[in-house]
Amino acid sequence: MNRTLTDRLILALVVAAAFVWMMPMLWVLTLSLKPNEELVRSTNGIIPWPRTLEHFATLLRVSLTPRWLLNSVVVAVGMTAATLLLSSLAGYAFARIDFPGRRAVFLLVMAGLMVPEQAILVPLHAMFADWELHNTYFSLIAPRLAGPMGVFLMTQFFKAVPRELEEAAELDNAGRFKIFWSVMLPLSRPALTTLGIFTFLFAWNDFLWPVVTATQPEMYTLSVGLGSLQGNFAMSEGLGFLMASAVFASAPMLLLYVVFQRYIVQGIAITGGK
Amino acid sequence: MSVQATSVVPVQAPEAGSRNGSLARQRNAVAGYAFLAPFLLFYGVFLLYPFALGLWMSLHDWEIVGDYREYIGFLNYVELWDDPYFWDALKRTLQFAAMTAPAATLLGLVLALALQKPLRIYAALRAVFFASNIFSVTVVTLVWAMVLNPDRGLIANGLRAVGLQPIAFLADKDWAMPALMVTSLWWTAGLPMALFLAGLQQIPPEVYEAARLDKASRWAVLRHITLPALARTTLLVVVLQTVMHLQVFGQPLLMTRGGPANSTRPLVQLIYETSFRDWRSGYASAVSTVLFVLMFGVALLQFRLSRQEGE
Amino acid sequence: MADVLLRDVRKQYGSQAVIHGVSLELRHREFIVFVGPSGCGKSTLLRMIAGLEEVSGGEISIGGRRVNDTPAGDRGIAMVFQNYALYPHMTAAGNMAFGLRNIGTPRAEIEERVASAAKTLQIEHLLNRRPSQMSGGQRQRIAIGRAIVRRPDVFLFDEPLSNLDAALRVQMRVELVQLHQRLEATSIYVTHDQVEAMTMADRIVVFRDGRIEQVGTPLEVYRSPANTFVAGFMGAPKMNLLQARVVAVSPGVVEVALPGGRAVLPAEGRTLAADAPVTFGVRPEHVRPTSGEGVFRGHARAIERLGRETLLHVVGADGATLIATDTGDSTVRLGDTVSLAIEPGQGRLFGADGMALPPAAASAA
Repeated sequence: MNRTLTDRLILALVVAAAFVWMMPMLWVLTLSLKPNEELVRSTNGIIPWPRTLEHFATLLRVSLTPRWLLNSVVVAVGMTAATLLLSSLAGYAFARIDFPGRRAVFLLVMAGLMVPEQAILVPLHAMFADWELHNTYFSLIAPRLAGPMGVFLMTQFFKAVPRELEEAAELDNAGRFKIFWSVMLPLSRPALTTLGIFTFLFAWNDFLWPVVTATQPEMYTLSVGLGSLQGNFAMSEGLGFLMASAVFASAPMLLLYVVFQRYIVQGIAITGGK
Repeated sequence: MSVQATSVVPVQAPEAGSRNGSLARQRNAVAGYAFLAPFLLFYGVFLLYPFALGLWMSLHDWEIVGDYREYIGFLNYVELWDDPYFWDALKRTLQFAAMTAPAATLLGLVLALALQKPLRIYAALRAVFFASNIFSVTVVTLVWAMVLNPDRGLIANGLRAVGLQPIAFLADKDWAMPALMVTSLWWTAGLPMALFLAGLQQIPPEVYEAARLDKASRWAVLRHITLPALARTTLLVVVLQTVMHLQVFGQPLLMTRGGPANSTRPLVQLIYETSFRDWRSGYASAVSTVLFVLMFGVALLQFRLSRQEGE
Repeated sequence: MADVLLRDVRKQYGSQAVIHGVSLELRHREFIVFVGPSGCGKSTLLRMIAGLEEVSGGEISIGGRRVNDTPAGDRGIAMVFQNYALYPHMTAAGNMAFGLRNIGTPRAEIEERVASAAKTLQIEHLLNRRPSQMSGGQRQRIAIGRAIVRRPDVFLFDEPLSNLDAALRVQMRVELVQLHQRLEATSIYVTHDQVEAMTMADRIVVFRDGRIEQVGTPLEVYRSPANTFVAGFMGAPKMNLLQARVVAVSPGVVEVALPGGRAVLPAEGRTLAADAPVTFGVRPEHVRPTSGEGVFRGHARAIERLGRETLLHVVGADGATLIATDTGDSTVRLGDTVSLAIEPGQGRLFGADGMALPPAAASAA
């Protein structure tokens, strides 16, 4: 009885903490649904009444937000697809093909985990300036395909697949690529899902590099665009609009999170959040 | 019937047994590098090369626009040594990481311990605490800039309701840094929580059952079983958090612009502004190198510590 | 025709040799069992025949064709793995069809072959299930089905029953032998379980440390082990091995001194000097308690009642143990002193090098 009492006490505390934790988001959601006249008077309360969708309508009608949404989708989808392909190909090679120099190349690639994005930010900018490729989807996506985390993940995954499976396929007259494509890839669906969601999330929220390479508002991603709004809008006049933008930008991620929560948490646990 | 009747190979001399080996090795080499080629291309062009280029740039007076670049040896680093802005930024960065990382670790640990049960309600609570982690830095800063706003912010509203003066957190020299830390904690605490939860799951349940048979108190179980079992995870979390918070950038850039009076400007912001506002890419690269060395040092420390523990 | 011929086959990992020159001739449609303790190289050799391990030296030929350099898929073999190695994302039918599709077999023929294999193995109701929806025994049948549809010349089995429970293992043992008799193929079966070897094999090959210790029919291996290793490895309980000394040698007969008596054995001992140390081996079923003067006296240290018979572990004064067989209703109790007698003429002598002495009959002929 002592145990359950303590348990209940802890639970009550955590529930209260969770409520406080959620407060900022709930409040912002409320603000985004309040009409401007009401906002001028007060920003109190977390129950949106009276409520309105006018800010969201403005957002879609007059701002660049829809364009930024499109950019974010293109960048996130492109980066995810390319990462999955590159990582699984390379991971398979490291895990299962006994080629000369494997150890050395693997170490060289894993050393890349030690290089933070800030260390290559300036030279990357110089490179893209040289090529005159800033403000393109390519510049938003390509540098992010060099990160070795996906390769590491897929290598670990493929290493854990029983070798007999590949041998059975070899006896079944399947060649290297056939084994990879028809046996190993379908098997790695859980790993690919985790890596995919994780990459998507990262791409969606990416800030430092996009803010450097995307200087034309038409090429902003939602994340960068939202940052630019913060500077341009005085808090008083565009408050509802600003809050609606925040809600709009995070809604897809929240949805993804609700659907794929298991994979996201798992992915974070595996990669340590990088 | 014989499937391979068509593919009969002429019989070789018996000692040719090893030919198969070298042939297979050749095939493996081709296949291995063919599978690796696409990734290695990106890795080389967008990671290895810029990393080397960054080191090279840090030895130059290198302007971001135009072609002005002059080799100046270690002059950038010498200038760094005498640059109060750099030391200031370095100090802020270290301060920020040294306070946020342990706080996030502790918060993550407490949350994980409180929420580790498999019941639905706990799962829902875990989801809540983790959820803030999925927002982009721009959303988080927007929300918190509003929450902390002295005129119409959530906290100001609350303070006023109990008859206190609202505080301009982000414009106050003493409050700005703690405000950024709280924002960062809210944003990232789900991460250490998830890592600790994963660590807790790896403790075999038999150990807890044995402890129950030994009539161990809740506190004794925590102190003698759970916490020691989480030692490795804790080390990992502290390092990851430190490395992560050394890279702090978006929060100060968007919430305080490094102010007031440069009191919240971290290294990454210094890099960003030096390179893209002052156009001094060579100098910015030198700062980048210092940041890299700093983070590398932390990771190396972790490696040493975990090795020691393994022995 | 698919004879399998191994000529001085060797395997090396770096400088470490794991197969030291194995030569063996397997006849068409023979059921051969490779048996030996773990690490003896039997699985490695099987995988070399399959084409999954490279051959370091010597020659492997299947059906008269040298296959050292032939890719695994083109050797006319099929393999059943210990953990089944079914493709988890394919149905049973998909698993069986995968290999045929890879070599471009027409769809109609694939269907026909899968259906007929499914009928043979009575797995028609499983064809649309995935491996995760099947029991271990069912998975094993699918794995066998996948091998059958290839219509191979040689079936390779790598400890296929070791993941099944005891009852199912006995049943599958019988089924596999029946299947083998129906198919026009040679089977090579690797196991560490000497009961499987005894019950299934036409011929047994006993391995140790990368070398063949003995090749023979199950009864040959059981009754006339070539050396003390085979004597100790084959049969449960294993053959008793006692230190003994030669007393007298006459043509075709050797008399030895045991701890508690003497035994006369038919063996060719011309090379033995009097008083030479030998090892005397005798199966427990040929050792019984006696009320008279036995060749071995000691006290019963363990008693295993198997119902039909009782096994007595008897420890002599010098610490040597002899396992004897008594009737099911044996009255011997723990600690009792027991005299043991050996059936006349039973037993086998091994020289100081561990090798069996040639049998008397062979030298007489």
